[in-house]
Amino acid sequence: MTRTELPFRLAGVIAVVALAALPLLGNAYLVTFAFTVLIAYILAQSWDWVAGEMGYVNLGHYVFYGVGAYAFSIALVAQYPTAFALLAAVGVTAVVAVLIGFPMFRLRGDYFAFGTLALLPLAEVLAYNLTPITNGADGIVLPVQNVQTISYLLALGVCVVAFLMTVWINRIRFGYALKSVRNDEEVAEVIGVRILPVKIKVLTLSAAFAALAGAIQSWQMSYIDPATVFGLNVALVPVAMVLFGGSGLRWGPFVGVLALAGMQQWLLVNVKVLQTTIYGAIILLIGRFMPGGILRSSWVRGSRWLGALGRDHHEYIVDKRGADPRVAATLPLPRLTVDRRQPLLECRSVRMAFGGNVAVNNVNLKIMQGEIVGLIGPNGCGKTTLFNCISKVFEPTAGEIHFAGRNLRELRRDEIAQLGVGRTYQIPRPFSDLTVQENIAVPLMYHDASLTPRQALEQARDFVAYAQLTPRLTARADSLSLQEKKALEFARALACKPKLLLVDEVASGLTPAEVTRFVDHIRHVRDDYGVTVIWVEHIFSALAQVVDRVVVLEQGALIADGALHDVVKDERVLRTYLGSAAAGVV
Amino acid sequence: MNVEVFVQVLIGGLLLGGLYALVAFGLSLIYGVVRILNFAHGTLLAVTGVAASLIFASWQLHPVLIALLLMPPVFAGGYVFYMALLHPLNRRNHFESTVGTVLVTVGALLILSDLTAKLAGATPKNIPLRFAAIEIGEIVVSTTQLGILCGIAVLTVAMHLFLKRSWFGRAIRAVTQDEVGAQLCGVQSTRLKALTCAFGSATVTIAAVLYVLSFPVDPYMGFGLTVKAFTIIILGGIGNLPGALLAGAFLGVAEGMTGLLWKPEWAPALSVILMLLILVALPQGFARKSA
Amino acid sequence: MLELKNVAVDHGKLRALWDVSLRVGEGERVGLLGANGAGKSTTMGAIVGLYPLAAGAVIHGGETLRAHTTAVTVARGVTLVPEGRRLFPAMTVFENLAMGAYSRGARDTLDQSLANVFALFPILKQKHKQNAGELSGGQQQMVAIGRALMSNPRLLLLDEPFIGVAPRLVEEIIEALNRIARTGVTMLLVEQNIHRALDFVERAYVLENGRTVLAGDRDALLNDPTFSNKFLGLE
Repeated sequence: MTRTELPFRLAGVIAVVALAALPLLGNAYLVTFAFTVLIAYILAQSWDWVAGEMGYVNLGHYVFYGVGAYAFSIALVAQYPTAFALLAAVGVTAVVAVLIGFPMFRLRGDYFAFGTLALLPLAEVLAYNLTPITNGADGIVLPVQNVQTISYLLALGVCVVAFLMTVWINRIRFGYALKSVRNDEEVAEVIGVRILPVKIKVLTLSAAFAALAGAIQSWQMSYIDPATVFGLNVALVPVAMVLFGGSGLRWGPFVGVLALAGMQQWLLVNVKVLQTTIYGAIILLIGRFMPGGILRSSWVRGSRWLGALGRDHHEYIVDKRGADPRVAATLPLPRLTVDRRQPLLECRSVRMAFGGNVAVNNVNLKIMQGEIVGLIGPNGCGKTTLFNCISKVFEPTAGEIHFAGRNLRELRRDEIAQLGVGRTYQIPRPFSDLTVQENIAVPLMYHDASLTPRQALEQARDFVAYAQLTPRLTARADSLSLQEKKALEFARALACKPKLLLVDEVASGLTPAEVTRFVDHIRHVRDDYGVTVIWVEHIFSALAQVVDRVVVLEQGALIADGALHDVVKDERVLRTYLGSAAAGVV
Repeated sequence: MNVEVFVQVLIGGLLLGGLYALVAFGLSLIYGVVRILNFAHGTLLAVTGVAASLIFASWQLHPVLIALLLMPPVFAGGYVFYMALLHPLNRRNHFESTVGTVLVTVGALLILSDLTAKLAGATPKNIPLRFAAIEIGEIVVSTTQLGILCGIAVLTVAMHLFLKRSWFGRAIRAVTQDEVGAQLCGVQSTRLKALTCAFGSATVTIAAVLYVLSFPVDPYMGFGLTVKAFTIIILGGIGNLPGALLAGAFLGVAEGMTGLLWKPEWAPALSVILMLLILVALPQGFARKSA
Repeated sequence: MLELKNVAVDHGKLRALWDVSLRVGEGERVGLLGANGAGKSTTMGAIVGLYPLAAGAVIHGGETLRAHTTAVTVARGVTLVPEGRRLFPAMTVFENLAMGAYSRGARDTLDQSLANVFALFPILKQKHKQNAGELSGGQQQMVAIGRALMSNPRLLLLDEPFIGVAPRLVEEIIEALNRIARTGVTMLLVEQNIHRALDFVERAYVLENGRTVLAGDRDALLNDPTFSNKFLGLE
């Protein structure tokens, strides 16, 4: 615990205790107001797990609130004990979340937002029409009990749990899965994260808490009907609150809820007409001017105390040891046994066509274990598309690819990564809002389930040192230069503990010394760890130092395969690619 | 159940579906160019529909005149809405611009519907213009309905020609397919996007006047309409005019039949259920804007 | 006709071009060479106004352009055939070409420009009703070049026009480019195959890491030992 954290934790405990004591004051109005703020917080924070952490804007969050409220009320009216009714609320809503999740997660971006928002009127119609269950427009009246205090305390308890849950999620591997999905889903899969279960889990968790909010609030109000629960104008309130404070930040939902609940209360009391219009205007202005939230604005960031509130989650896991300037000679990679006579990768008549454009044309290729193979060819000849077929970013139109004895058609992208295929992208794709250290820790976590995130972050230092990025250990990946990103990309591919490493043009723009160092890396990775490498590169001098053979693609077809100095003398290769200027020099 | 009722419902369904398709078309046009799903789109129809019925109630103007009267302010409003509120969000990162546009358009939805309800009242309104009815056998077809059908047909053909033949329409299609490519041809994409918003909104105005001739509007029906438009876009494809018409007709008839053969209260839910079913059934889903 | 003076361009927070200076005279054919990632496409984009300049100036026909847009450059007679072609796949060949004449002045000469393009690439006339997305790579490249010609440019920029084009069609396109050059159109060509590039251009600039590092006419470059070093990384 750092010195700046202690006052916060102390303040937090005091605040919770103070809130718990609020009913003792005897002011019912105050308790009711505090209660609505607590419920709003539960909704806001649970929403942000899906939105701020994972990047999916779920506008149908209130559906979970409503289902929870109805399930609870129905159970209570049927005279089940309250605890059971609460469990029922959570259980039923969780099932609904799973059922909604599967179709909804087929959508991305604003389509997802729209699809989920559309669930609200659907829920409203169901509530109105499934009269035997929901009592239709009349709503459900709960047995009158004096539950003001206990429902309030229960809400407070759930709030605290929600907050602690946020802190916890950001410490475990699951949190990193969420963040990698937020940054780049394709890359997350390619480094070995299985993303669909992650999405469904976080949605279900979010739904469970929303259901509790609905249950507890309807308990206090003793009444629910479709309009109060599924109406459009309430649906966006928690969203606006989170965004106002700062989505994805530890204190964002809290700050936003406090600010906007206060504002809403003031409006209710002082402005009789046009409340919705004013609320709509506030939402509109937030969206237009501060979708990043208050805590991300420059004046907050500048202040010492408020700025501490606005810290990103990864700033809480700051590596206290700082930059350790040692240069690692070894990496924590397994030493693979290599049988040079066994093929590791086999491409059989692989063909990839996009409409009329054939990018990979009937490629037959065998890569033996422990080889370093250069893959060359003019721009647009299909090299990257071939890599994309091997890592299953694309599914080949025809043909088969076998890796380590398995047919890739039967496997998902993350399974292929777990099997041992690692790659870099020609234009680096790091996880932009994660640090260099975290970028490397994520694949480490997902290739060794026994590692805790803290251990993975520790191990990541070796890879970072190997890539000579230690001075940038805790820098965000999007602040790196292009060369630094390429080094990170390479290190992250190694952190996937690959058997086969696909390297896509990392050496262009490097000085000759840097190129040599990179060539040494590749040789080292093969000689010491048994990693097979396919290297796409234009710089022949680099390839010449280390490759066992070279394969040439042209217009998607393999036109040459052999030792480098033979291939560069090949007629076809000369004509289409190298140009006679190169021939005499090599 | 007799055939006449069936045919009546069928015609009504086709008409309604055609109107849904017009709304969907405006939404699709705007989305293709601006890549923003406008949540307030349906509310625009509700609001202009209410305005149209009020104008008729006060001055008894011909519907065509009412449409001509309403189009310029809506056009200007669409342009300003894009430039002032939506365009600046492009400069932000992906998450913020997605959320920002959602908040802006939903905020607009709330403001428009609430203001309209306060100024004009929340009760459903329409234009009770009744011409003589035509009888074919025992089926009664009102000239109003025929008029709406004509209106839909004319508007559709006009849109199609506009997109296919005019320079502006071609530019819209070009920007939808490759914005940079269009810029390299000299298209000023910011202005084009704002104009497309304006144009899409004006289209909704015409659809609103047609709508209100036969069906009632209230200030709060907007979002339900937007959902239907969205379902039609998913079914028909972005920018696909015949597809949208077919999908719209299908939806309209399905709603009518649901009311006739089962219970009318379920009709609003139909479009959402349909959308969910499509999403479950299609193997790849829709990966448009990737996260 | 065109001059770049110490041009710098940023992509977001990162600098893509640091210091690019070059000169293209009227009627010349000039090449822009360099390894992948050196900044060639960014330079082309900066010239036509796709990317704002962080520093330096683009001077065209004596006028300094600073915050210019693509609309301005097209109107001034400078067009770009971009890397990857950027056609409109669901529009016909005819519509793609017509879009090339979008700017005010070009619309009046639409029919004449179209006839010129069909004369250069007869196969396009055959396929003018087909959607551009259905054509082969080489045919698509022809459409891209044709589209850029529709506004009657005096300066034509070409960014890697032979990627993904079958060798036979490469010959046809080079022949067409020669014919275009003979009508007096100035050309700036980005090309990765040095042999092909130096066959076509009279002189060239070499970019490396966002800076111009070498310049010279064809013979001077071929005889320069550092040239192959910088371009191919050969010792």
